Amino acid sequence: MKHTVLALCSALALMTPTLGAAKDRYVHANNSAYDTLDPHTVRDVARVASRLNFYDGLYRWVDNPPQLIPWLATEHSVSEDGLTWTFTLRDDVTFHDGTKMTAEDVVYSFERMLELKRGAGSLFLPMIDPGQTVAVDDTTVAFTLKEPSAIFAALVPDILVVNSTLVKENEVDGDMGQAYMIDHVAGSGSYMLQRYDPARGFIGERFADHFAGWGEKYFDEIEFRTVLETNTRIQGLMRGDYQGLDGYLAPDQVERLRADEDVQIIEEESMRVFHIAMHNGRAPLDDKNFRMAMVHAFDYDGYINEIMQGTVARNPTIMPGNLWGAPDVPGYDYDLAKAKEYLDAYKAEHGDEVRTIKIGTLAGFSETEQAAALMQNGLSQLGITVEIESSPWPVISSAMQNPDTMPDMVPYWKSTYYVDPNNWVGELYASRYAPTRNVSSYHNDAVDEKLEKALVITDQDARAELYSDATTQIYEDAAGIWIYNTKWFGPYASSVKNVRFCPVGNGQDMRWAYLEE
Amino acid sequence: MTALKRLLADRAASIGAALILGLILVAIFAPVLAPYPGDVTAFHLTERLQPPSADHLFGTDRMGSDVFSRILFGARITITIAVIAVGVSVGIGVPIGLIAGYYGGFPGGFLMRTSDIFLAVPQIVLAIAIAQTLGPSVENVILALSLTYWPFWARLVYAETRSLKAQTFVEAALALGASDLRVMVLHILPNTASAIIVRTSIGMGATILTAAALGFLGLGAPPPTPEWGRTISEAREFLPEAWWYAAAPGLAIFLVVMGFNLLGDGLRDILDPKLRKGSR
Repeated sequence: MKHTVLALCSALALMTPTLGAAKDRYVHANNSAYDTLDPHTVRDVARVASRLNFYDGLYRWVDNPPQLIPWLATEHSVSEDGLTWTFTLRDDVTFHDGTKMTAEDVVYSFERMLELKRGAGSLFLPMIDPGQTVAVDDTTVAFTLKEPSAIFAALVPDILVVNSTLVKENEVDGDMGQAYMIDHVAGSGSYMLQRYDPARGFIGERFADHFAGWGEKYFDEIEFRTVLETNTRIQGLMRGDYQGLDGYLAPDQVERLRADEDVQIIEEESMRVFHIAMHNGRAPLDDKNFRMAMVHAFDYDGYINEIMQGTVARNPTIMPGNLWGAPDVPGYDYDLAKAKEYLDAYKAEHGDEVRTIKIGTLAGFSETEQAAALMQNGLSQLGITVEIESSPWPVISSAMQNPDTMPDMVPYWKSTYYVDPNNWVGELYASRYAPTRNVSSYHNDAVDEKLEKALVITDQDARAELYSDATTQIYEDAAGIWIYNTKWFGPYASSVKNVRFCPVGNGQDMRWAYLEE
Repeated sequence: MTALKRLLADRAASIGAALILGLILVAIFAPVLAPYPGDVTAFHLTERLQPPSADHLFGTDRMGSDVFSRILFGARITITIAVIAVGVSVGIGVPIGLIAGYYGGFPGGFLMRTSDIFLAVPQIVLAIAIAQTLGPSVENVILALSLTYWPFWARLVYAETRSLKAQTFVEAALALGASDLRVMVLHILPNTASAIIVRTSIGMGATILTAAALGFLGLGAPPPTPEWGRTISEAREFLPEAWWYAAAPGLAIFLVVMGFNLLGDGLRDILDPKLRKGSR
C-alpha cells in the first residue's frame, strides 16, 4: 500500500513539475556493470555503490583516514577471552517496506553470508562457524568466534543487514533468496531501488524515513549508470550528463577534466595498490627463477613517470607504503639483463621451451591494458610471447577466483576495504583466502604461519612485525609484480558538494553529498 | 587489353585501382617505407601522444610508437585478412551456387536454404559470435569472415547458373555428350566470371570494414599487432585531443574501402554490358 501511495505521489510529481521543487539528481557513470544487487555475493569497488546506498552495516566507514562510526549498532563489547562480540542495535531502524529491523535480521544476514561463501562471507568463514550468531533479544546480537580476531571489528561494516522476512518470502528451493536478490533490494539503506537493469545500472530514490535522518540538502535521486566507454564518461561529465565518475581514470583523462571549469577533481590520499597478480600455481610461473625474470621485465619507471605522469608513487610490495607493517625494501627494478639471467637459470632446469603467457586485462580500465602492453614488450625482448585478452571486470573477476581459469597474469588494483594489513597481504597471499582472494595460488607455510598469527593477536607492534616479515618473504619469492600506490582522483561536477570521501567505498556513499549551483 | 584500356578510361575506376595498387605496394614494402619499422613492437614512453610532425608524420600513440609506421604495417594484416577471407568465401560460395543452380531440386534447395540461414543473420553479428567463441586472433577473424561471407557468392552464382542453364549453348554441350562437371566448369562458370569478379572487388571492401569492426571490438589481432580497427579502439579514449591517433587508421580504412568499391563499380561497368552506365 505504502509503495502504491509513493508511486502515485511520484507519478503526480512527475506530471506536475511546476507544483513541486525540482528533484536533485545525481548521475554517476561507472566503468563496470552492476550485474547483481545482492550485497552478500560481491565485494569490490566496481559494484560498491549498490551496497553502500541500498544497505546498512552494523558500523560504517567514513572520511579519510577511515573511521568507524556506529550505524545499525550503537556499541559493542568483547568477552575477556576475545571470542564473543556482543552488539547493541538501534531500535528505530526500518527497512524500505516499513518492517522494523531486529536482531533476527542480523543473524539471518550473517548466516546468509556464511552460507553463500562469496563476497565478504568468504572473509568471515575462517573465523566463525555457521550457527554461532545468536539474537540475544530484539536489539542484541552476539557473534562467537572460533579464535580471537584482530580484524573482526574492521569487518563489521561488511555485515550488511537484509530484511529477513522479505528475503525468506522469496526463497526458491532453499537458495536464501539468491535469485530474488540479484534484481531486488531488501535493505534499510539511504536509497530505495526504483529501477534496475543489469545492462544499464540502477536508480535509487531517497528513503526519507532512514534512521540516520537527513541534512538540509541531499540528492532526491541517484543513478549509477554503466558506461564502459572511457571517452563517453569523460565527455558526459564535461557536458553535464553525469555528475560523477569512478576514480579509475588515467592521468591523461584527469588532465583533460581539470581543464574544464564545470568539473572538479577531488584529490585524496588513498591506499590502492596497482599490481600484476601472477599465477604461482601454474608452470612456468610456479618457478621462482621464472618469476624473478618477470619482476625484472616490467618498466616501472616508464609506467609511473610517463603513462601515469608521475601522479603515483612506486610501491615495492603489496602493502601500501603509507600503512603500518609495510617493510622497507627496495622495489624490483626494470633490468632485462638481470631478467635474462634468471630466465637462463630457469631454462637450465626446465628446458628452453617457454609457453605463451596470457595476461587478462580489465575492459574499460586503460591502465591495465597499458601495463599489460608494457609487460608484453618487456617479455618479447626476452623471447617470451604474451597474449593479452581484455574482459569486463565481472567476467575476469570470476575467472580469477578459480585456479583453472585464472589467467597467468592480471594487472589490477587492491583497494581499501578496511584499514588493516590483512586487507592487502593477508587476503592476497594467505592460504586461507585461496582461491577467492588469494588469486595467485601462492602458498608458503612460513608466510601462512605469520599471517595467521597476526590475525589472532591484538598488539599492533607485534602484528606490524609479523606483517612486515611475511610481506618481505612474499617479496623475496617474487610472488607478484607490485607497481604503485595511488592517490584517489575523484571527478565530479563542480556543483556537487560534500562528497565525503572514504578510501573504503571510493566516494560513492551518496547520502552526504548534495547539489549547489 | 581492351578491358584494361576501358578501366583506365574510367576515372573513378582508375582511382580505385591506384588506391589498391598503393595498398599492395605499401604492404609489400612496409619495412622499407616505414620510418620506424621497429615501432610495431617497440615503445618510447617519453614520446607518448606527440602530434604529427616531420619526425612522426601521423604523430605517436599511447606507447610512444610512430603511428605512420604502424599504419603501414597494418596494411599487411588488412590485405591478408581480406584476401584469404574473400578467397575462402569464393571457394565455398561459387561451387555451392553452381551445383545448386545446375541441379536444382532437392540438393539445390537444400544448399540454398542453408545459405539463406546464414544470410538471415546480419554478417557482423554472426562474425562477432564466431570470433568471440574462438578467441581473438587474425586466424579466427579470417575464419569468422569466411564462414559468414560465402552465401553472397553462392546466391549470385546460383542466380546466374539458373539463367545460363536454359541457354542453347548449354543444351548443345549436353547434346554433344559433355558431362555435368564439364558443362559447369567449362561452359557455365566462365560466363559467371564477370559477376564474380565484380562482387569480389566490392566484397573485399566490405570484408575490410567488417574486419576493422571486429578489431575495434577487441576480437581481431591481439596487441601489439598494428591492426587498424584495434588502433582506432585504443585511440578513442584520447579523442579529441590526440585526434591523429584515431584519424590516421580511420583514413587508411576509408581509402582502401573506397578503392575497392570504386574498382568494383568500374569493373562492373566494363565487364557487364547489361549494367553499363550508358545502357541504364
